[in-house]
Amino acid sequence: MAKSNSMSKALVRRETIAGYAFMLPSLIFFLGFVIYPMVQCVFTSLFDATMNREDIFIGFANYVELFQDKVFLGALKNTVIIVVVSVPVTCIFSLWVSSVIYDLAGPACSAFRCIFYLPVVTGSVAVAVVWKWMFNNYYGIFNYIGTNTGLIEKNINWLGDEKFALGCIILILLTTSVGQPIVLYVSALNNVDQSLVEAAEVDGATKFQCFWKIKWPQIMPTTLYILVITTINSFQCFALIQLLTSGGPNHSTDTIMYYIYYNAFKLYRYGYGNAMGVVLAIIIALLSAAQFKMAESK
Amino acid sequence: MKKRKFMALALSCVMVGSLTACGGKDTGTNQTTADPAPASTEKAETPAETKENTDTQTAAPADAAQAAEITLWTYPIGSWGDSATVDGLIANFNAVYPDIKVTVEYLDYTNGDDQINTAIEGKQAPDLVLEGPERLVANWGARGLMVDLADLWTDDAKAVIYDSVQNACKSNDGVFYEYPLCMTAHTMAINRDLFEAADALQYLDEATGTWTTENFQKAVQAVYDSGQAAVGVVYCGGQGGDQGTRALVNNLYGGTFTNAEHTEYTANSEENVKALELLKSMDGIDFDASLVGGDEINMFCNSTFAMAFCWNVSQEKNNLEKINFEVLPMAFPSEDGRPQLCGGIWGFGIFDNGDPAKIQAAKTFIDFMANDEKQAIESVKASNYWPVKDLGNIYEGDELMTEYAKFVEYMGDYYQVVGGWAEARTAWWNMLQQIGSGTDVKTAVEEFVTTANTATSAQ
Repeated sequence: MAKSNSMSKALVRRETIAGYAFMLPSLIFFLGFVIYPMVQCVFTSLFDATMNREDIFIGFANYVELFQDKVFLGALKNTVIIVVVSVPVTCIFSLWVSSVIYDLAGPACSAFRCIFYLPVVTGSVAVAVVWKWMFNNYYGIFNYIGTNTGLIEKNINWLGDEKFALGCIILILLTTSVGQPIVLYVSALNNVDQSLVEAAEVDGATKFQCFWKIKWPQIMPTTLYILVITTINSFQCFALIQLLTSGGPNHSTDTIMYYIYYNAFKLYRYGYGNAMGVVLAIIIALLSAAQFKMAESK
Repeated sequence: MKKRKFMALALSCVMVGSLTACGGKDTGTNQTTADPAPASTEKAETPAETKENTDTQTAAPADAAQAAEITLWTYPIGSWGDSATVDGLIANFNAVYPDIKVTVEYLDYTNGDDQINTAIEGKQAPDLVLEGPERLVANWGARGLMVDLADLWTDDAKAVIYDSVQNACKSNDGVFYEYPLCMTAHTMAINRDLFEAADALQYLDEATGTWTTENFQKAVQAVYDSGQAAVGVVYCGGQGGDQGTRALVNNLYGGTFTNAEHTEYTANSEENVKALELLKSMDGIDFDASLVGGDEINMFCNSTFAMAFCWNVSQEKNNLEKINFEVLPMAFPSEDGRPQLCGGIWGFGIFDNGDPAKIQAAKTFIDFMANDEKQAIESVKASNYWPVKDLGNIYEGDELMTEYAKFVEYMGDYYQVVGGWAEARTAWWNMLQQIGSGTDVKTAVEEFVTTANTATSAQ
């Protein structure tokens, strides 16, 4: 019996070692490219750090400056607007599209999935160039259609007018954000237990009741995942801003990510940029935790 | 069991190996290596070539002939952004210095700075970089990242390189961080066909390419009245091409961007405020926060605009196929018709990577490219600009280059070496956006100067 126990312990130890060995590459990657940069980011945020000069410890001065920086506060506001508008619209729109296409015949469903997924796999630069052309003040298609149909009196400088610029960015962001949620929702809806739906229909449930009482609870984990990734993506909106507006006009499209980039890479204010990164990470973490909590309670 | 263990170990090795591969040095598609010429013992030379090369080597630093591998990162300065051209230039170099291997990486102005800054932080800065004083001197030089090029700036070099260029290549404390190769004067351009149709050519001097502020106003009004609603645009969507808007504003009433010592921004002068107010009030000139210099060039080339403020000879050469009208390059309008154009000066700088052999090899490369009698002409021609010293008429028979050459004499102060330049550039187009959206000119200009001067004093 004792021999059997020791054999079993040796086996467990060997399997544990093998398990850790398999995990090691990922662990090295995770520690080196995720944990270490995070710790470094928090650490550097306490310094006045710049290129080719010894860092100067300044405690929480970067954080104090952050909340007195009008541009940062404006960027924070813009980022929150993007998240508040983009996340629910993306979720609702992708759920609606998925509900319509998930039970279509195979090729039709695939075609729709491809169409909606296309902006996701298209490079940001290509997407931005096309949208920039469509929004062009002088010969853009929106102004052409708008003026010819009488919707607008004269050309609108969509990306050059602070009243419209942020809305345009959100619109583009939506087109690049809905692809993945649609694919995920189509899969989730296909996995809903059809026998429950059929039983409810036999009992006289309406389509809305079938959706709300049977399908919605079953796709809740997918919804939660979509909410979290869309929130994170919206908070990290950067490429579109850099390619289309550089944060303008008059800082109306500045986002925290763009402002981090500007401070760190243009002004070499590494400590200040890192402080913004820490604040952004805290906000995203809190929101994601709240979303998980809400989903758990349901 | 042994087999399973072996498999597990092998898999782990593969995964670690793949991680190592991911972390390897970037060998992007825009990086090319110009192979050195065969070793001199293997190289068959004609007697004439042998003599030429011997002459050149005599001119080069005596201890330069040492083996080294150096990296050159180049911004797209004319054909210095084209690998076929640069490979040819490096082949010339390797014909004389076969033991120095030069690897080239081609940068663009959108991401180039980020690539270099990332490389600096990763202790992987290139040995050589081809760009202008605002980066080599005012930015990386001021941060102590560049090598002092005093030994290249011999008395002979100082005697032949134009004074204005010399001043731009050294820091305020007199250290040379750039060895210049070529220069140009940034101009503006007009659609001559549209101006002719609007009878506006009478307001400009085609021979000298100059006009007065008063005539500029009349010309723009005439073109606008002829039905061209968008005559020109003060683009301010970003920093791309901002030298055009700066030169326009500074020239209209003789304002300056900085003081003569390049220690303080002076864009809030009465002259600059007057110029901005004039531009804001003119029919046919809009402040557009959705466009940058590159957009303006494209929209001038497709006739959307009748004039471009972001222009130089390269723009015309690069866009010849797109343009179906006659382009007339012009200096920026000024009250007395004597403009002060913004210049571009490009040359080499060396990052101090702590390896004396590489630094020496890089200096040898610079000396060959910029000072070798025959090679310097080829190096300058590759840039599509003009030499920084008298090399004779290197563009003889080239009508376009001859037409643009007349603007070089109007080159004004090279103020881009002022401190806080990166922040000031951003503040400039932000200021133009404010003015475009209705903010009082004086208020916006004061805010710009405060921001820019704060950045200068913080450095």
